[in-house]
Amino acid sequence: MVSLARTIRSFRRVGFKEWWRQLQYIGDAKSGTYVGKDQFGNRYFENLNPEEEIPGRHRWVDFAQHDFNATQVPPEWHSWISHIRKDPPTEDRVVQNLSPPWKAPYVENLTGTRGAYRPYNTTKPKVTAWQPTVAARGD
Amino acid sequence: MAILRQLVVGVAASRPLATRLATSRPSILAASRLLSTNSRQQAQHVDHTNHLHPGHPKSPPLQTSFPGEFKDVYAGGPSAIEKAVHLFFFTEILRGMWIVLEQFFRPPYTIMYPFEKGPLSPRFRGEHALRRYPSGEERCIACKLCEAICPAQAITIESEARLDGSRKTTRYDIDMTKCIYCGFCQEACPVDAIVETQNQEFSTETREELLYNKEKLLANGDRAEAEIAANLHADHVYR
Repeated sequence: MVSLARTIRSFRRVGFKEWWRQLQYIGDAKSGTYVGKDQFGNRYFENLNPEEEIPGRHRWVDFAQHDFNATQVPPEWHSWISHIRKDPPTEDRVVQNLSPPWKAPYVENLTGTRGAYRPYNTTKPKVTAWQPTVAARGD
Repeated sequence: MAILRQLVVGVAASRPLATRLATSRPSILAASRLLSTNSRQQAQHVDHTNHLHPGHPKSPPLQTSFPGEFKDVYAGGPSAIEKAVHLFFFTEILRGMWIVLEQFFRPPYTIMYPFEKGPLSPRFRGEHALRRYPSGEERCIACKLCEAICPAQAITIESEARLDGSRKTTRYDIDMTKCIYCGFCQEACPVDAIVETQNQEFSTETREELLYNKEKLLANGDRAEAEIAANLHADHVYR
């Protein structure tokens, strides 16, 4: 039916290797235009043809890591793949102009690993323990 | 497919002549929607008022005749025989099963998260972040308006004067397990220091990882400043 024709069409477009990779990760054969790649090697694609991709599935990411995670998408591409920004960050002048020079390198959600955030106190403690000092006995 | 199409036509034909004129259009509609070849672009608005529910006409008009005069308010409705035919031949069940069969041959609308994501608004309220000025100076001036307005009392602030005389926070803790993500803190902030970013994927394995302190919030802002500033820029015409 439709999905079979869609699978064959995508397979003929992307080739066997890419199709096999899509089946291992996305689980669906998709074809579209290559939009860009972020600093981690994740590749982003888009297919704006509503006959081929239903609206809502027209932007997707191919993660670079095998152990993929939704938070591996950096914020600039997150705003593109979440349909917040129309243009990808490689073309979006607003995002490029508003990127500060002190922008920190992005890290994914590291919960469950040794790099996970652990809360700590940022102030000096209000109560200090009394340290007893023993005066020397006079002879 | 042909058998099923005949079945539907048979269902439509089993209705009496009075309603067949009314139902002829939806049966043609159903026949044209048989295969899933039609795209969702061609989906058109169907007028639901008349012909989709031929057995249930509009409620009878109010009685305008003289009191005491008999008037059959069910005159235009289906007869008892027609109702019995629909009852004994399970026509409603067959029509419902036909709709299920149609959906079976259509592509699913499932979004394959995390490869594809649903749309978010620039005003989406997710994980908090503390922003900096373009010079790199932190924005928060420890006015404690966010702490005062927070309905869940999730924010704790302590402040001190720095050596250059500016008042800055020494503690800016947000208990993300208390936070209800109402966005009052970013509305109350006079310098746009505390914002809620569009990040909703900050789930943790332990509870203590959700007790954010100032360094964590500043780190969030340092990473996502481009996205935060672009969203504020997209929204500034409405503020």
